[in-house]
Amino acid sequence: MIKTEEEIALNTKIKDKPGILSLLKFYLIPGWRVPEFNEQEYEIEKIRSKRRFFRHLLTLLTIIGSLVILSFIFMGIFTPWLTKFPVQDLVPPSIPGIPYELPSPQHPLGTTNNGYDVLARMLWGTRTSLFMAVIPTGIAVGGGLVLGVISAYFGGKVDYVFMRGVDLIYSIPTLVIVLILTQTFGLNMMDILIIYGCFAIAGNLRFMRSLVLQIREMLYVKAAKTGGALKFKVMFSHIFPNALPPMILTFFGQMAITMLGIAAIAFLGLTTSQIPNWGQDIAWGNIYEDNVLAFLIPGICTALFAIAALLIGDGLRDAIDPRLKI
Amino acid sequence: MAKKSINMVKYIIRRILVMIPMLFAVLTITFFLSHAMAINPLQSKMTGWDINIYYDEMERLGLNEPIYVQYLFYLRDFFTGNWGESYSGQFQGWLVNDILITVLPRTLELMIIPIIITPIIAVKLGATSAKNRKKRKDVLIRSIAVVGAGFPSFWIAIILRFFFGRVLYEATFFEFDLEIYNSNSVTLNPSFPDIIPTTLDVFGLVLFLFLMIGGFYLIYRGNKLRKRKQTQKWKYLLFLLLSGALVCIGALVCILGIVPIIMYINTYGTKFRLIDSIIFNEPIYFWDTLAHLLLPSISMTFISLAGITRLTRSSMLEVLEQDYIRTARAKGVPEKEIINNHALRNALIPTSNLIIGGVASALIGSLFIERIFGYSGYGGVFFTAIINGNIPLINGCVMVATIILLSSNLITDVLYTIIDPRIIYT
Repeated sequence: MIKTEEEIALNTKIKDKPGILSLLKFYLIPGWRVPEFNEQEYEIEKIRSKRRFFRHLLTLLTIIGSLVILSFIFMGIFTPWLTKFPVQDLVPPSIPGIPYELPSPQHPLGTTNNGYDVLARMLWGTRTSLFMAVIPTGIAVGGGLVLGVISAYFGGKVDYVFMRGVDLIYSIPTLVIVLILTQTFGLNMMDILIIYGCFAIAGNLRFMRSLVLQIREMLYVKAAKTGGALKFKVMFSHIFPNALPPMILTFFGQMAITMLGIAAIAFLGLTTSQIPNWGQDIAWGNIYEDNVLAFLIPGICTALFAIAALLIGDGLRDAIDPRLKI
Repeated sequence: MAKKSINMVKYIIRRILVMIPMLFAVLTITFFLSHAMAINPLQSKMTGWDINIYYDEMERLGLNEPIYVQYLFYLRDFFTGNWGESYSGQFQGWLVNDILITVLPRTLELMIIPIIITPIIAVKLGATSAKNRKKRKDVLIRSIAVVGAGFPSFWIAIILRFFFGRVLYEATFFEFDLEIYNSNSVTLNPSFPDIIPTTLDVFGLVLFLFLMIGGFYLIYRGNKLRKRKQTQKWKYLLFLLLSGALVCIGALVCILGIVPIIMYINTYGTKFRLIDSIIFNEPIYFWDTLAHLLLPSISMTFISLAGITRLTRSSMLEVLEQDYIRTARAKGVPEKEIINNHALRNALIPTSNLIIGGVASALIGSLFIERIFGYSGYGGVFFTAIINGNIPLINGCVMVATIILLSSNLITDVLYTIIDPRIIYT
């Protein structure tokens, strides 16, 4: 598609079009067009569309959202430098101090159950929350992408089996099944994340399937088929890249939802208490209300994280495809 | 019109027939999952037991059998209306059917207010936000929606409880202390009938309800028949006679349906506490129940409010740019009518899915909110069942949730045809 400079120059010579000097207008004056310069215009359009994308992306709300997420990531990475409390002092077997103490110089935000420091638990919980947000969503979106392409492209029996599976998962409340499974697999956090992700595949599969069914009827796919391309090749090099952007858009929105869902499971006390975790902090904080911050802080942090993810998702959607409903 | 309605009835019957294998699959899955739980079902009540008593109890409940034998027995019992016996917890030794009959109405009472109010508020908010796009109102509503979507519902419930239970109490120098809030509803001793109906009774009630609805339908058809225009006089008279006969039969069927229902309510009560306290004339109990329902209901409305608002706004924005809206404006249709009649109806098509989805989220939300407010309903019972490994109760609760979910999906699909007459199922 993209030709070298020599070829372009050759093209211009043959067609006898204005020289390079007159092109200055094109660079300097916005909106100036030289329709004959197809190749160069193609290149410039590409850059311009990228620029437009970034201009749409860089709204105030999106910047705020990404800053909040970045600060949470920073907090998650550098937690040991930010607090003097190790994790061992913040999980059940140890009882370091007076429970539900009001703020003091040693504990800037007071203490919660068994005298654990609220601020330290908040900081250590950031790591857990990042995992809580990313791992299930990654599994769900990845699984949905691959299975959705397979289901929609093959059709017939494969599609029927997948769709009945999706219907089955849709007819049971997911959270309830996860709660039952926590009693089977133990309260290990990573197991819960993986199980939750596996159940969340269903929705993505349905969305991806509808996308692929639209794309399958496009001309370029038919051309590839008549050209004799392999099924696998058509599926993953023609259909897949075109269905990718709308799926990626849903990632951030789902991140918020999964985080809230797993925080709810933690709130019910069905995750391990060996990892500091905001959901459990809320559950501990609401029993005694001497130190109000014990449940205010983790709740606000959860909400900030979820809101930031939602804002980024909204911004991306507005930049790429405003008509898409997610 | 008549042809279409027959299609609809056929469609509904077909969907219900499809639901049966789905229920069967869910039953199988939950049975094996709940038996795979790593908890001894008798764990919570066997402290201080002799080992022989333990073995006898295991034998009595059939837990010593191989799993497939248990499964077959459970299937037999399930379809004959005996959903097993609760092993432990608050309702130890009760039949699961009885537990669900006593507990479900309480949660439905809690859910009905959010389910009705949430869509009304959310659609209204979304429409106003789309109408004044990029103005102060829009920014306000959008920010509320995003914030509402971010905060976990259980945290909002805790905040509400904290505010009304403690902050208001202390801010008013301990005077915000209404008698009704302190009176525990257990101690009030209302004069309700305390008998639990058997499964056969409930089945009969549903049957008679259908009979009553059928009677009303007959009356409706008869009335329609009378209004039909006829050219010949004898035909007119015939149709008059026919319609009179239909209305009479309808009224008879209606009375036939209503009388047993009234008898049922007199002997058992409806188990909905608000309705019961009106029927059996208990004003104090009514206000007490209402006061206890207030905060949980408010916190439940927050669960699906934000999502519906956001979706309504985005679909409304898309609809408002369509050609027919511009045509309507050019015609000179008032702006209010454009929003309410032309735009909103088209914008509601994608939203109606989420509105019914609110039923499911409210059912799951009851797990947390009932725990926070100490309200013993479906969610609370279900949660204790999961903690204690109370297998029959878990299965029963999941089945009830599944039935509610599937039927609400069916209702959405039927609602689609009402909202958008272009959609026809074949």
